[in-house]
Amino acid sequence: MDTVLSLEAISKSYGRIQALKEVSFTVPRGSVFGILGPNGSGKTTLMSIVLDVLKANTGSYSWFGKANHPSERKKIGSLLETPNFYHYLSATDNLNITSAISGRGTPEDISRVLELVKLSERKNSRFSTYSLGMKQRLAIAAALLGNPEILLLDEPTNGLDPVGIMEIRDLIRSLAQKGITIIIASHLLDEVEKVCTHVAILKKGNLLTAGHVNEVLAHEDIVELAAANMEALKQCIADMGGFSVLREEDQRLQIHYPAGTANMEAINAHCFRNGITLQLLLNKKRSLESKFFELTND
Amino acid sequence: MLSLLKTEWLKIRKYPAFWWMLGIVLLTYPGINGIFLNVYQQFTTRKDAAGSFAKMVLGNPFSFPETWHTVAYFSSFFVLLPAILVIMLITNEYSFRTHRQNIIDGWSRYEFITGKLMDVLIISGVVTVVYIAASIGYGIYADPDNLNRWTEQLQYIPLFFLQTFAQLSIAFFLGFLVKKAFIALGIFLFYYLVVENILVAYLKYKKIPITRFLPFEVSDNMLVAPAFAGNFGKDAKAGYEAALALVPQQAILTIVLTTLIWLACFRLHNRKDLS
Repeated sequence: MDTVLSLEAISKSYGRIQALKEVSFTVPRGSVFGILGPNGSGKTTLMSIVLDVLKANTGSYSWFGKANHPSERKKIGSLLETPNFYHYLSATDNLNITSAISGRGTPEDISRVLELVKLSERKNSRFSTYSLGMKQRLAIAAALLGNPEILLLDEPTNGLDPVGIMEIRDLIRSLAQKGITIIIASHLLDEVEKVCTHVAILKKGNLLTAGHVNEVLAHEDIVELAAANMEALKQCIADMGGFSVLREEDQRLQIHYPAGTANMEAINAHCFRNGITLQLLLNKKRSLESKFFELTND
Repeated sequence: MLSLLKTEWLKIRKYPAFWWMLGIVLLTYPGINGIFLNVYQQFTTRKDAAGSFAKMVLGNPFSFPETWHTVAYFSSFFVLLPAILVIMLITNEYSFRTHRQNIIDGWSRYEFITGKLMDVLIISGVVTVVYIAASIGYGIYADPDNLNRWTEQLQYIPLFFLQTFAQLSIAFFLGFLVKKAFIALGIFLFYYLVVENILVAYLKYKKIPITRFLPFEVSDNMLVAPAFAGNFGKDAKAGYEAALALVPQQAILTIVLTTLIWLACFRLHNRKDLS
């Protein structure tokens, strides 16, 4: 699988504040790559650097294997932070400028993307008269102009209502199915989990982990159990062994096993043999959220 | 290059302030010259001795070829109007954050500043066209018999363009550095109207001969007061001719200063974070 974007030890500081510390990872072609992190973790700084809006102090990056060059940036549809448009121009006129700069899109294509984000009716109104959600939709339309092979979206669902959020999620999914590479930063984990194939998790400028979703999440199997006598159950499981973590919370026993070693049948049989009837036996797939909290909590 | 020009035109063509500026320039340039022409005519058509004296001393500053010089001189007072537009065009990019978006969409930092340089060139060009039209109009109106001398003193066209471009470049530089429209406008107006004038008066009073090197005076001294200013006695004549002799030097200094301003813009913009 070839690489779309690769980062080599990117560091960036604002005065004494270190926003990114030697961050390196690669984004494979065709992936939906989520960049996650709490507010202030450096997501937007990272995206700004690869779009040449900010200059890294040290380190380097390359798009399509070539060092930073504007002509490479033209192939990327981007939405960075807030929607930035000329307030006195209409949606169509603003997209004409996007098209003139990037070389992406034709007049027909401008109509198409405006239709796609449901702005056709207001395409001739000035940008300054738009609501927050409409501005965000226009920014998404600008990113989609000319069917770019790469999309870079920073908090794409900002300011959208629940229906809008769902529509954008569906849009991202259908674009991903067409083989478009999508790099997406978000603090809405639910959003990312539903669409991403790869993730990178940042915290205070440090890259905690990066890779395929299954690799990042599936370090362990998690099994949840419950029985009438929790003390006896705990003792029984402790005797059985083979786990890495055993803890009780909310009247449930949570057991972490090394990846691929949890055997539900064996657990059930072992408990039954020891006179414990299980009320709950759950092979819990780990959520991105729990992994995220585990990694980002101090 | 053509694509940069096209993009900048897309930004400007529906910007109301651009058309307002153009409208006001179209009114003020001919207007201010019209007022002076009117005053001149009132003086010189008087039948008494003062009238004939005025005619003798002033000549006909609005007839060809003097019109090129006279109209350039009076029009240049109104560089403030296009300067406001130039400051708005760059500070808008900051307030709309489109200075970031243009880069994100695929321009290099160099292309962004080149686009702005084109804006300033276009506006200087538009203003110069208005000046040329006013000069021709008043030239024909003031003395149609002199029309055959229209090719003389054509150097005032490039000088007027250069002066406008140089002073608008200073306005651009302020907007580029300060980023906030009102602060940049305030500094520009205060310096242009107050500070430099006080400095010039003070330095002249102290007889320190460096006034012609001040940022606006450099280019102001390319368009010296109209020829009649030299007709008020021997000293005035000598002063006028000395000022005229310095024009080539002032033109070179203006080009140097303006080049430095744009080089600074390119260099600064290439290095900084666009926040």
